[in-house]
Amino acid sequence: MKRSVFPLIVAAVLFSLPGCKPGKQDVAADTAPVKTDTGGSAAGDFGPPQGEPVNAVLTSPPLVPPATGRTAPAKVIVELEVKEVEMEISEGVKYTFWTFGGTVPGSFIRVRQGDTVEFHLKNHPDNKMPHNIDLHAVTGPGGGAASSFTAPGHQSQFTFKALNAGLFVYHCATAPVGMHVANGMYGLILVEPPQGMPKVDREYYVMQGDFYTVGKYREKGMQAFDMQKAIDENPTYVLFNGSEGALLGDKALKLNVGETVRLYVGNGGPNLVSSFHIIGEIFDKVYTEGGTHYQENVQTTLIPAGGSSIVEYKAEVPGTGVIVDHSIFRAFNKGALGMVKTEGPENKAIYSGKEVDSVYLGDKAVSSAPVSAAATATAGGVLTLDQQIKAGEALFNGTCSVCHQSSGAGIPNVFPPLAKSDFLNADKNRAIHIVLNGLNGPVTVNGNKFDSVMPPMSQLNDDEVANIVTFVLNSWGNKGGTVTAAEVAKVRKETPRPQGAAH
Amino acid sequence: MNKILFAFLFSFALIGNAASPKPAALPGDSVLQIDNVFTNQDGRNFKLAERRGKPQLVAMFYTSCKYICPLIIDSGKGVDNSLTPAERKNLSILLVSIDPARDTPEALMYIVNKRKLDTTRWTLSRTDEKGVRTLAALLGVRYRVLADGEFNHTSALILLDAEGRVVARTETLGSKPDPVFLAAVRKTLAVK
Amino acid sequence: MRRLILLSCLISTASLAGGAYVRVPAGEFQSVLKYEDNKGKQKVAAFDMMKQPVTNAQFLEFVRTHPQWQRGKTPVVFAEQKHYLSHWQAPLVLGTNVKPQQPVTQVSWFAASAYCEAQGARLPTWNEWEYTAAADPKRRDARNDPAWRESILGWYAKPASTTIADVGKKPANIYGIQDLNGLIWEWTEDYSAMLVSADNRNQSDPDKSKFCGASALSMEDKESYAVMMRVAMLSSLDAVNSTSNLGFRCAKSLPRTQTRSP
Repeated sequence: MKRSVFPLIVAAVLFSLPGCKPGKQDVAADTAPVKTDTGGSAAGDFGPPQGEPVNAVLTSPPLVPPATGRTAPAKVIVELEVKEVEMEISEGVKYTFWTFGGTVPGSFIRVRQGDTVEFHLKNHPDNKMPHNIDLHAVTGPGGGAASSFTAPGHQSQFTFKALNAGLFVYHCATAPVGMHVANGMYGLILVEPPQGMPKVDREYYVMQGDFYTVGKYREKGMQAFDMQKAIDENPTYVLFNGSEGALLGDKALKLNVGETVRLYVGNGGPNLVSSFHIIGEIFDKVYTEGGTHYQENVQTTLIPAGGSSIVEYKAEVPGTGVIVDHSIFRAFNKGALGMVKTEGPENKAIYSGKEVDSVYLGDKAVSSAPVSAAATATAGGVLTLDQQIKAGEALFNGTCSVCHQSSGAGIPNVFPPLAKSDFLNADKNRAIHIVLNGLNGPVTVNGNKFDSVMPPMSQLNDDEVANIVTFVLNSWGNKGGTVTAAEVAKVRKETPRPQGAAH
Repeated sequence: MNKILFAFLFSFALIGNAASPKPAALPGDSVLQIDNVFTNQDGRNFKLAERRGKPQLVAMFYTSCKYICPLIIDSGKGVDNSLTPAERKNLSILLVSIDPARDTPEALMYIVNKRKLDTTRWTLSRTDEKGVRTLAALLGVRYRVLADGEFNHTSALILLDAEGRVVARTETLGSKPDPVFLAAVRKTLAVK
Repeated sequence: MRRLILLSCLISTASLAGGAYVRVPAGEFQSVLKYEDNKGKQKVAAFDMMKQPVTNAQFLEFVRTHPQWQRGKTPVVFAEQKHYLSHWQAPLVLGTNVKPQQPVTQVSWFAASAYCEAQGARLPTWNEWEYTAAADPKRRDARNDPAWRESILGWYAKPASTTIADVGKKPANIYGIQDLNGLIWEWTEDYSAMLVSADNRNQSDPDKSKFCGASALSMEDKESYAVMMRVAMLSSLDAVNSTSNLGFRCAKSLPRTQTRSP
């Protein structure tokens, strides 16, 4: 009630105020808490750098540089070298990667909002190609690409101020751009908010990318880049950190029970969007798209190509969390698979592991062993009444008891009883006939009228029918007797089969 | 015998020195190393090494340029006008055409007269195609001949010191000079 | 004795004269580079081109007879001190790691131009180079053939640490010219005419005042990205630069009046 009235009250108040136009009313504030914004780049200039220039610490994946710990803007010198290196993309498969800092993804850069970054890009003399860099953290033409176009054996320098906080992608932007990116030329730069990132026990660096080779997935040998596959957006590999084993085995990320972990996750593309998920974990916090505010309790988060995300969770139980792109064929057929190994004491209250291991028969509540025993006996010509009854019971419980109930009582006014049934006991052949052909239309059983449809049990063979009817006759106070397969066959032959009956 | 030989050689050395005083070699990073022959608006041939001794502004242009080139002259004038008379005396300005086929000395003179340039300090010149390419390469100027004979080119005003070394460059054109560039000009003139 | 001197003179002149030239016939050609003023086919006049790139041996002979181009003696304004012929053991000695028949690399545009000038030749223009490089052994224009593209891209995929092969090992194209693709980058006379925006993504947003009335070169055709990479490479260089994968060959205009190449 309050909900629908509140906007009216607000509107009324606003209408009464001079100068307030209708349509500018506030929506009721009973949804998520109002988020104050940081002011973006307009509020991101904290003035000139103070103190001595700092040489940025760069790390190779999956490690992350320590927090800057700064409280004032500084001049930060970043020296990043481009190297064209031959590395394994998968076991026995070699590829010439173009890299920032010798790794795919490239080195992780960490600065603070308001820092003045003096960026030195070096192109190793052994390289063949010219390269440049576009950092998404840069406010300026090309993100720096225009100022950093560098021939092999040379270096370029440009300076920018990091006005916005966030986790940003950087990549090469030399034509053809898609090829440079597809060859691994991307990485992440973290611009810390002024107060720094909240403390966690561990931080790791993961970056997804798609790769295009002339040969097939896992085809051994030296593989070349395939431009047509890249244009068709048909990758051969989708990988975390540039190779199939990058986060597997002894290179899996490590964690201990009780620790909080933050993953800085990027997606270099060039083409694919990632559905990032860790099997067995839920992200307590996701800073969507590497921005300022976080969402909570997320299973799978989208990371755009050329974008990022920051995910956090606490490890409560030991085990291996599997990092995947949940577009699942990428994980199992193209290599988008990594691992987080959490060690420590178990906590059965949170996850018990397997508790019961028993046979699940589906709708077969009783073991079908007697059925096979009977079959064997029949084959040997030594079937006994007892075997028939036991086999019949097993079959009855899987088929007939659904309607007639395992007590043979049926359902009043719906399905007639078989227990102490005058109708049944009156005519054995009629009973066989009904099992084979079904029955519809009115019947009176034990003085009660029934008018239902019983479908033909056309899936039963002669032995099975014989055993079922034998069991029924010998149960629940019925008169007893046996039915042989031969008798069933006779009835089957003599009666025309109604529609719906098989064979 | 040795003394005579020595005297003989010594006199040769003296004669040699008197006849052709050898200046110190141009520094390795001097643009004036370029060996090509240039011709100015008066039709006089010269080599750039002859302009050694005074700082100079250098730019590349062509007389029938419609877009930026008039601005290049404005830029040169803009720097000039911002200097004191004493500073101005020590600065010369060299413009080199990238269109030698059409920019004859007469065409260059036309511009001199049209823009009323003081030829004691302004020199408009041309060289052959090879010279144009080489100088452009030395100055970092890029240009392309279009199908209709026009040119696309980058435009920069370059400051050379008295030895011909590139000290500063600006791509900000117009009669209001780039303050950073102007400061560099002043500093170079003061050193002299 | 005199005959011997004459003979050695001839031999040194011959090696100084460099490699053999091959006549490339005139033709019409659709360049990969899309300029505002010439979107259609361009005419390439007939010219002579060196069959192979200039080798270490040939360049060594050149610097022997032109000492101002020896490493250490060349003014830095004409060749970067750090890189110019830095792979040779000494200014006049190749050394064991450098083979005489490998294409010479680590040479600046000035040095390459000077070598060609000493021959009475020049560097090829980009148009001439692209026109000739489009051919394979069977056709004058093989650029639509994925196999042609793959062979070029295969070279880009090889790591830079691979030793450069000797010249002349691969089959010649239909003109009889070798190693235009798959061996080294090559200087052209008008490499600086490629007015490419340093941020190669800005092709459709012309900064007209930067290039005096032109927009930066458009390199959008995905089909031609093999050639596009050459353009990107050349546009990243200044005349004074050299790299370990950059060499050159010479060309000669034919002795008759030619229209200026568009």
